[in-house]
Amino acid sequence: MQKKLLAIFLIIFMVSCNAKQEEVVVYTSVDQVFSEPILKDFEKETGIKVKVIYDTEETKSTGVLNRLIAEKDNPQCDLFWSGDPIRTIVLKNKGITTAYSSPNADEISPVYKDKDHQWTGFSARARVLIYNKDLLSEEQVPKSIFDLTKADYKGKFAIANPLFGTTTFHIAALFTTMGDEKAKQFLADLKTNSIVIATSNGDVKKRVVSGEVACGLTDTDDAFEAINEGANIGIVFLDQDSGFGSLVMPNTLCLIKKSPNGENAKRLADYLLSKQTEAKLAISCAQMPLHKEVVVPKGLPSLDQIKPMEIDYDKTALKLVEIQDYLKNWAEN
Amino acid sequence: MKRYFTFYSLLLLLFTVFVALPVIYTLFSAFFTNPNLASDLSQLDFSTFTLLGKSILLAAIIAAMAVLIGTGLAFMVYKTQLPLRRFLRIILLVPLFISPYILAGAWNGFFFFIFENVGFRSSYFGLVLVLTTVYTPLAMLIVGSALANISAQIEESALMLTNAKTMIMRIIIPLIKPALLSSFVLVFIFSISNFAVPAFFGVKVFTTEIFTQFSAFYKHSFAIIQSVFLILICVALLMSEYKYLADAPFLSFGNRGLSTKLYSNKKLINWSLMFVLLWIVISIVLPFFILIIQSFADGVGKLQEAFNLLLPTFADSIILAFIASLITVIIGFTVAYYQVWQKRNVRIFNALMLLIFVIPSTVFGISLIKFYNHPELNWIYSTYAIIIIAFVGKFSFIAAKLLTNAIRQIPKSLNDAAQIAGLKSYQIVLKILYPLALPTLFASFIISFIFSLGELGTTIMVYPPGTELMPIKVFTIMANAPQSLTSSMNLIVFSITLILISVFSFIAKQFFNKVNYANY
Repeated sequence: MQKKLLAIFLIIFMVSCNAKQEEVVVYTSVDQVFSEPILKDFEKETGIKVKVIYDTEETKSTGVLNRLIAEKDNPQCDLFWSGDPIRTIVLKNKGITTAYSSPNADEISPVYKDKDHQWTGFSARARVLIYNKDLLSEEQVPKSIFDLTKADYKGKFAIANPLFGTTTFHIAALFTTMGDEKAKQFLADLKTNSIVIATSNGDVKKRVVSGEVACGLTDTDDAFEAINEGANIGIVFLDQDSGFGSLVMPNTLCLIKKSPNGENAKRLADYLLSKQTEAKLAISCAQMPLHKEVVVPKGLPSLDQIKPMEIDYDKTALKLVEIQDYLKNWAEN
Repeated sequence: MKRYFTFYSLLLLLFTVFVALPVIYTLFSAFFTNPNLASDLSQLDFSTFTLLGKSILLAAIIAAMAVLIGTGLAFMVYKTQLPLRRFLRIILLVPLFISPYILAGAWNGFFFFIFENVGFRSSYFGLVLVLTTVYTPLAMLIVGSALANISAQIEESALMLTNAKTMIMRIIIPLIKPALLSSFVLVFIFSISNFAVPAFFGVKVFTTEIFTQFSAFYKHSFAIIQSVFLILICVALLMSEYKYLADAPFLSFGNRGLSTKLYSNKKLINWSLMFVLLWIVISIVLPFFILIIQSFADGVGKLQEAFNLLLPTFADSIILAFIASLITVIIGFTVAYYQVWQKRNVRIFNALMLLIFVIPSTVFGISLIKFYNHPELNWIYSTYAIIIIAFVGKFSFIAAKLLTNAIRQIPKSLNDAAQIAGLKSYQIVLKILYPLALPTLFASFIISFIFSLGELGTTIMVYPPGTELMPIKVFTIMANAPQSLTSSMNLIVFSITLILISVFSFIAKQFFNKVNYANY
């Protein structure tokens, strides 16, 4: 009897050992409603179990990013999928990422990739102005970011807290494009014009939709989401005719150094960087593909239709660190 | 005696090693092995302390208002013949079940809907209003429990000798003083530690500053050093509370075995009913009116979608909150018993629980990661154990406070009599203390359960990859979901919480009946 029990125990033990499923651990700051379907599809297609930690811009991605930093010495995560380049560059600068050059990223412009292959961009969002059509007619809508300092928009315009997320990157991009002096003057003028500082881009969207403010700066995914929800808002890509263009922010991914499932992370990276994923993200959250020839839904602009701000992402990330104290003071006083 | 001493020691040891040590280690590292310490300390300037002062003032205002209103409500639903008073007690607890952040959004929606008042969004008024409505039920629960413990004999004897006003001032208030103080301290600590609501209203307080240092500047050590100020304030408050209670002419008498006096004056009943209904309208009906309107704005389909999204999270969320609440109540009961009946020095245990309770959620999360994220501890870090540790750490203090307050009001003479009769310590606990403290044990369990079920700040830092929990799912989905879906998810979470509490209450009532608590 004892021998039988021992045999059964051994069989169960061996089966359970062999049954250890292939897996990959992903941390993502991309909103769960958009990232989860993509990761589920990968799981179905490859049989590799995807274990995910989701976060959101509403928490300023404090959860995943601080977690990745804190886990540096014993990484649990294999791949970090960020909604923007800022966070992956922070991780790169802290020595948490490892290089990977995916064959699926060959066609992606070098502008959207790290020169050392520490991070790679795909499907991009852009910074846009959204406005409430009940409060502003088409003629009244700002065309340049500098219009927002005019008296017509006093107290009627919102941006998210510039210390966090894509807004901080947008401001840093303005500093690198305009130079420190002009950028500071511009921000001072915005403050004089009673700019409303919201908690997040989602909050900007909600305030514009509800009519709390007439217009606000946010990201394309928030803007198109509002339209899909039936909100009566319009979208404007600022500074297209004679200005410096709109900020384009790709999703980025990076592999984590010394991660437990490195090979599976590469397979997932290849999957995320494919045209197929870009097409899905274009449909689900109006993200603009970085690959050419990806079919996008009607109404969604492609990258070649808008004038992007010409910036170096690494330099902008460094500028961001440099101006943070100034921005904190600007936002809080 | 030895047996319980061993159990207490074991609990203290386990709590210290599994829960407190990570935080102590992190604090120690921030001060003693931090190469940037000098730079971090140099950043503490006058503005840091001005901000701290402002946060203390706001928390004190919220605590004072919550205790004032909570005491009034407690008197009305625990000490008068108010119709449906048991039902009203449960209804008044509703704001506690909902995340303060959701209520803030609902209130903002209400003000905008009715008054188109955009100024509400960035106001101190909004902050004070929301946190007062959220924490008033907590004060009501604690003070109500104390009021219900006052023996009818005491009040009736007093009323034969003097008028009601003098009786309230000389008898009632001194008797419930520990509850009033405990309520104030708890609400103060909750308010000063809250991040989500001041962030929503754009009010800069100490917790938002710590969060900014973490999430915008990634200055972990500086944020940890800043959080030490919060800890010091709360410890100082608790110490003064201990001192005050020790010096106070606090008499411990009355128990749940004796009936409490219920006032039936018609005028009092009418005024009470008006006040209770008005508070229900302010704290529940108005915000929920907005929440329900938002939920059904796009038809019932969103409710179904929200349910499908939340379905995979139910079992794990409930089981984890249940296990953590049981452990929390065991810890709270043990500490309370030793503090009040055994007159042991439990300050170390209390200090450790307070430390974890007041430390900002992000700092606690980071501490757990740094301590547990080692290959040899993966059996904790990569499993649900880490979440249970987080819940137990966050909420043991509340359970201990509630139970200490309850046990203080059970006559110590019962213990003495039982000892003289030859009962052993464990028999005294099981046959006397446990039955008398059962209602508060249940209340502590429910509060721990509700808080654990909704805990987000630390959980989002430590939950294992691939697991799904209710508050995390709501929070990560709501970022880019339509308002109707977000509100539907919140309504479902609220309904699930209410159903679970009803189920627990039903089971508890059967159980109380067995130990002669049919009147509870």
